[in-house]
Amino acid sequence: MIAWSGRKKALMILAFIGPTLLGILLFNIYPITYNIFISFTNRNQYHPNPDCSDSLTSIIEPTCWPMFKESSGISTPYSYQVPTYKNYSDLLGKLLSSTGLLALVQVVICFIPLIVIAQVNKYYDRQLTRPVSGVVVWILGLLVTAIVFWLIGRPAMNTLQADSDFFIVVFRTILFVIITTPINYIFGLALALVLNTEYIKGRTFFRTVMIIPWAASTMFIIMSLVWQFFFRDVGVINQLLNIIGITGPAWLLDPTIAFGVVILVNLWFSFPFCFNIILGALQSIPADQYEAADMDGATYWQQLMNITLPLIRPAVVPAIVLSAIGAGGFQMFGTVWAITAGGPSRGAGVPGSTELVMIYAYKQVFQNNAYALAGAFAVIIFIFLFIMTLYSLRITRMTKGAYE
Amino acid sequence: MSRRPKTLVLVFQYAFLVVMTLFSLYPIWFVILASGRVGQRLYTLNLLGMFIPTSFTFDNFQIMLAGEPHPFLSWMRNSAVVAGLTTISCLLVATSAAFAFSRFRFYGRSAGLILLLAIQAFPGVLSLVPVAQLLTAFGLYANLWGLVLAYVVGNLVFTTWLLKGYFDTIPIEIEEAAMIDGCGPIQSFLLIGIPMAKPALAVTALLAFMGGWGEFVFASVLIPAPNIKRTLMVGMYSIANNQSVPWGLFAAGAVMTIIPVMIVYLYFQRYLIGGLTLGGVKG
Repeated sequence: MIAWSGRKKALMILAFIGPTLLGILLFNIYPITYNIFISFTNRNQYHPNPDCSDSLTSIIEPTCWPMFKESSGISTPYSYQVPTYKNYSDLLGKLLSSTGLLALVQVVICFIPLIVIAQVNKYYDRQLTRPVSGVVVWILGLLVTAIVFWLIGRPAMNTLQADSDFFIVVFRTILFVIITTPINYIFGLALALVLNTEYIKGRTFFRTVMIIPWAASTMFIIMSLVWQFFFRDVGVINQLLNIIGITGPAWLLDPTIAFGVVILVNLWFSFPFCFNIILGALQSIPADQYEAADMDGATYWQQLMNITLPLIRPAVVPAIVLSAIGAGGFQMFGTVWAITAGGPSRGAGVPGSTELVMIYAYKQVFQNNAYALAGAFAVIIFIFLFIMTLYSLRITRMTKGAYE
Repeated sequence: MSRRPKTLVLVFQYAFLVVMTLFSLYPIWFVILASGRVGQRLYTLNLLGMFIPTSFTFDNFQIMLAGEPHPFLSWMRNSAVVAGLTTISCLLVATSAAFAFSRFRFYGRSAGLILLLAIQAFPGVLSLVPVAQLLTAFGLYANLWGLVLAYVVGNLVFTTWLLKGYFDTIPIEIEEAAMIDGCGPIQSFLLIGIPMAKPALAVTALLAFMGGWGEFVFASVLIPAPNIKRTLMVGMYSIANNQSVPWGLFAAGAVMTIIPVMIVYLYFQRYLIGGLTLGGVKG
């Protein structure tokens, strides 16, 4: 823009972004700093109060600040852990030992076939002819991955999970994301493909109907409770089954079924968004692409694989990545909380079968008062999500301004 | 793709559409049916009563609106106040930041944008304890204003990014022409930037309002008591989270909460879809 510079420019920019920075500082940076600090202490239900005589504590704890001092309790103060990283080693269990590291390497090995497939497919894409189609390569590769996982990955994961809730919860969350994301997008894609064809009657009606779960998803707590009612012991589904003479299972008390119910409800909340993103991308594909393919005698399947999917990729992949690491995926909380609250329980002190990362953290903080442990947990999860966010930025290239 | 398909394919496509329509609509339809029945009678439904309204009364709505035993209208007012204040403050704060990030070139600009997004990766649930402590220190704990403050910052990053994406699409030539005529950055923001960004502002406002209206975790922790100061979602959750749930009342409350939102969504449908893609979700 126009050349104004020096102090005046700095003041102007500060005036524009100052309030945002202040807010971020207070409600984002401060909590992160606080969590990092608290993760090195032993703050829990037995040591809930800050020790204001410690200099670092007196800076970081609001209740130690001079103007609020009278409200702070000094009985049973918390102190630093010995060794300092004890919370982390409690969480990560065997990971910090040689057997744990070996197990982790074994888990990583399971992903090698997938990388090989991607490379093989890339190589074939550059060639003029393809000896085998991409789908066959993928199926073969997934098969190999499954076998490798069964032989190496599974025992390694058992080792990792043996004495640590952390890995159980994280693996389960990753499983949740790996299952829900494709399901949501496959349903969205199928709907978008059907509703993007001209010969279907009532397309406007169907499109409008598909908005409704999306609108309801802003009030996910209420609708999740309704879904929970469907799957209760004497809920709608079991009543229907009773009428035709079947005794339905206790849906939310069976670990596997409860997990499936959560995935189904998440589908209800998520598929309209996927559908709308994909439909928007489909409508931007020029029709002459398909006309040319028709002339060359391409089948519907070939057109889908070689025209439709590659062309909607740029719009869909960022949305998939963002929702996978966001509140609809890795950070899923509300829906699952309202339906199962992390249960069904598998015994005292063991995470329930739908206890995802955020639910585990919530329970640690608000039910067990294990602030320090939850702080360490938060730091580890944050590092993971931080890296994933930077990676997704690389994919979406959203940082590019208009005039750069 | 425009060729007419075989009849069998067509049948499958319509069947799929019908199944998905039922899947989308039935939960909402069920809530509407349940809101017309009295008390616990959900547990003794007949088959027909699950699909069509065999009997319908407005008793549940009357009880909910009367405020006894659940102060529904107070919850609704709290939620509306919180969501409304969140929307206004969020727009005030985020629009100027977004404009600055889009138009000005300064040291640390793109690093700041990335930092904003990366910091957002910190899970909200886990920042609740420090946020609650901070609000306690400011005397804003168990106070609607404290909740508004937390929501505004929670929405800030998303809003800034969305609006920045939109400002980027507005041609800068207009502002350059205005600058030659002697227009400073503040005028160009107030007189050109904001009026040009109206569609994006509308979408942002709607999303921010809905975010505040439906948020649950922060509201449940930051306003623990008394019942009358709770927000709608926390209140509704407290109704349903009992051993014997007054389902009729819950359903009536749910209908009154959800139907207005649905109408707004249906009305703003095309802007919403446009708004999501303009905010840079598109690659």
